[in-house]
Amino acid sequence: MTAQEFKSNITTKRPRYADSRIPLLEAFSEKGSRNADYSRFGPIYELYIYAMMLGIKRKTRLPLPPRNLTSDFLELGKWKRDSSLVDFLLMIIFTQTEDLSFDWNELEDMEEEQLNKVVSEVITLIEEYANGGLEYLETLWQKGELDTSHYMFIDLYKNLN
Amino acid sequence: MASIINSISFKNFFNYYGDYDDTRYEFEEGVNIIVADNGAGKSKFFNAFLWLFYDQVLDSDDKQKKNVKDFAVKIISDKAKQETSIGDQVETGIKIEYSTGRYKYQIIKSFTATRISEKITDFDSWQVTINDIEIDKTDHILPKYKPVYDAEEKDTIVKQLILPTLRQYSFFQGEEVDKMIDFSKKSSIEEAVRTLTNISKYEEISKLVKEIAEKAEKDLNKQTKATSEHNDRLDKAIEEKEALELKLEQESEKLGEFKKLYEDAEQEKNNLEQNFANAEKRKDLDDKISDKSRILRGVKDDYDNFLDGINKRFFDGNFSWISLGFENSIEEFKTKIKEFRQVRYEKQALLNASENPNDFFTFLPVNSPDAVSLDSMIEKEHCFVCNREAKEGSEPYNHFIKLKERPKNKNPKSFVKNDLEDFFGNLQINATPFYNKFDTIQTSVLRTREREIELKERLDKLNSELKSLKSQRKDILIAGTDSEHIDNATTIINNYKGAIRRMEQAFTRIERLEDSIKSIKADIKNTEKEITNLRPKDIPEGYTINYEISKDLVEASYNAKERVFDKMVSLLESHANKHFQNLIKYNDIKGGVLKFEKTPSGGISLDYIDELGNEVSGASEGFQRMKKFAVVMAIISANTSHYNYPLLADAPLSAFGKAFNKGFFEAIPDVFPQSIILVKDLYDKDVPEKLTDLGLKLLKSDFIKTFHINEVDEELAQIERTTNIERRK
Repeated sequence: MTAQEFKSNITTKRPRYADSRIPLLEAFSEKGSRNADYSRFGPIYELYIYAMMLGIKRKTRLPLPPRNLTSDFLELGKWKRDSSLVDFLLMIIFTQTEDLSFDWNELEDMEEEQLNKVVSEVITLIEEYANGGLEYLETLWQKGELDTSHYMFIDLYKNLN
Repeated sequence: MASIINSISFKNFFNYYGDYDDTRYEFEEGVNIIVADNGAGKSKFFNAFLWLFYDQVLDSDDKQKKNVKDFAVKIISDKAKQETSIGDQVETGIKIEYSTGRYKYQIIKSFTATRISEKITDFDSWQVTINDIEIDKTDHILPKYKPVYDAEEKDTIVKQLILPTLRQYSFFQGEEVDKMIDFSKKSSIEEAVRTLTNISKYEEISKLVKEIAEKAEKDLNKQTKATSEHNDRLDKAIEEKEALELKLEQESEKLGEFKKLYEDAEQEKNNLEQNFANAEKRKDLDDKISDKSRILRGVKDDYDNFLDGINKRFFDGNFSWISLGFENSIEEFKTKIKEFRQVRYEKQALLNASENPNDFFTFLPVNSPDAVSLDSMIEKEHCFVCNREAKEGSEPYNHFIKLKERPKNKNPKSFVKNDLEDFFGNLQINATPFYNKFDTIQTSVLRTREREIELKERLDKLNSELKSLKSQRKDILIAGTDSEHIDNATTIINNYKGAIRRMEQAFTRIERLEDSIKSIKADIKNTEKEITNLRPKDIPEGYTINYEISKDLVEASYNAKERVFDKMVSLLESHANKHFQNLIKYNDIKGGVLKFEKTPSGGISLDYIDELGNEVSGASEGFQRMKKFAVVMAIISANTSHYNYPLLADAPLSAFGKAFNKGFFEAIPDVFPQSIILVKDLYDKDVPEKLTDLGLKLLKSDFIKTFHINEVDEELAQIERTTNIERRK
């Protein structure tokens, strides 16, 4: 498998989220109704990325429910087109070594089947960190601890450093 | 000594539910503020004084004043009504304490209502008995209240709180300021002057001495006729004088008529002028409003887009907020990729070595050194890698040759199954914009906030400018002429011209009549001299002296009256300007002074003129009211060194801007020893303190002596609602 094939194997995947997160996703991204009380993101993937990074910052991975209780959305490679955002995210993801069962050099010697498993492992990592981040947002939201400022997301993000 | 209201308390009075002790305001000398939102008891408070002074209250439904007796059922607190069982009684009342220098009074006005049937809001369900007014009095030395029984004394005590003639200046609701003084009527300032000065005494004296003089003249003439020395020449002179006096009277009457004509025409002209100018002004304002709205929409869009875009900055490579806090991950990536590459090279080198044991062996990366460097190394017989000499024929030199001749394998045998070097390498190269912003993110978040504040300020400024334009336009509509039609405009112009023509005609006649009156007066004076010369010498001296003195007195008293009036007007002018400048201290109004002018008809007009003497027009309703309030303050301050009554004003600020509100609170202590101001403009329900910025500032100001906030729980049904009074100061 070439570098390009490996990358496209990752970027053609559609990460999933638990159906129970739909209200949250609608409330905090443009998919929802127009008159929201809170600051919001544009497309779902923005909130999803944000949640994933929160998850990584807070080191909270949360497994998803069985597949039929989840939904997918945009392919990873189409998140923020014409930008290297996804490359940056992959950089962060591939440094989460305590979560990943392989060593970079090992990858180069794997059989295709094994490599596909690695790709799944990476996608699961993305999904589980995103789920962890969404859970955190959801809890704050339910407790009424999210403020209504336009800077709510960046403030929250900053304070987790 | 001034009357100072010490406290007011209510018992089941409208929303002021509970006994007197539960709903009590305490006040001090100086400025007292009560802040309340709509429906939180401002007008009810005001109603207490309407009850005290006039046995009336204002029905907020139709803005009519109703007698307490007829309106009683509505006055009782709904909650109190509900709590009264059929057959039981409920008492409703107001209690006011006030002091003068020597005494302190407590006044209670109340009524008792007995519930007789089910429906509590029905007037028929209650039997109302108005209780006698109770007044107690104490002096400050022995503070023990004793009841006052004498009805006349009770009446005086109530009146003394604010004298009835002064109540219009001291006790009013916002819009009443407009009616206090109507500057388009000549009599308005005269009346104000009359209310507060002793000018009518001068008029009485003037009238009295005129009567005396007439009588003295009659007596003198009678004496003259009685003497033998009397002659025809004298008779003729006296007749002549009588004829002249008759003529003077007729001409004066005519002058009065023409002055009236002039005044009417002037009034019409002023009204039309306003209409005429309004049409122009409105058009002008409409254009401005439309421009401003367009700009506002643009800025609003910018602002909305900006807000929507804030979170985009997480994912935009120019800001890269998403990378915040991931510095370590990036460092780790760099370390890992270095290790990854090292392992690869080792792997590759080992593979090469094992496959071609006789071939060269190097740990240097593939194709390194490159061909150009190798050539140079061979030529200079020097190794650039280890910086050592490598003479031709030596081992290192032969190694160069070996390297130069190394197999040029375009597709080197792959030493791994999956070559992922480019995968990791490209991630690192491509993602550069996202991980080279770590140092600038904090600043960029800060700049974003600053930019937002900038936009917000711009938006607020535009909004307030637009609001002010709209309010100016509304003022024009209030002035009563939204004339949309051209024919209307033509009529206005014709009428306007007609009014000016009539003014000019009247003015010519007034001038002519004034000249004529002047010459008749001169004739009368000369005739009088002639009469004196012709008078027989044997008339008892007393008659002549009596006549002469009374004549002088007539003139003197007339002059005195005129002088007092003129002096009062100029005093009013200077006081009004002083107050006006204080009131507009924080406003953005350029210069200008108030000017009192005598009109040809003898009235006084009030103009606001700029430093070049041009009249300033087009000011908002708030500004007009401010002008009037300055005159009201002047009427009070110009007439008395110390005004002895409190100011009780409900919503005096409703039409003013913030800046004026501030000026108002600072200026009123100049005139009123105590003022109690009910105001909603300082209320802000959206902040925890419930006060606007100005409200908070005033709360801290020394000159504000007490500060109350009324709150009503709006979530309760009307029937449950009660006003809670919170004293903040």
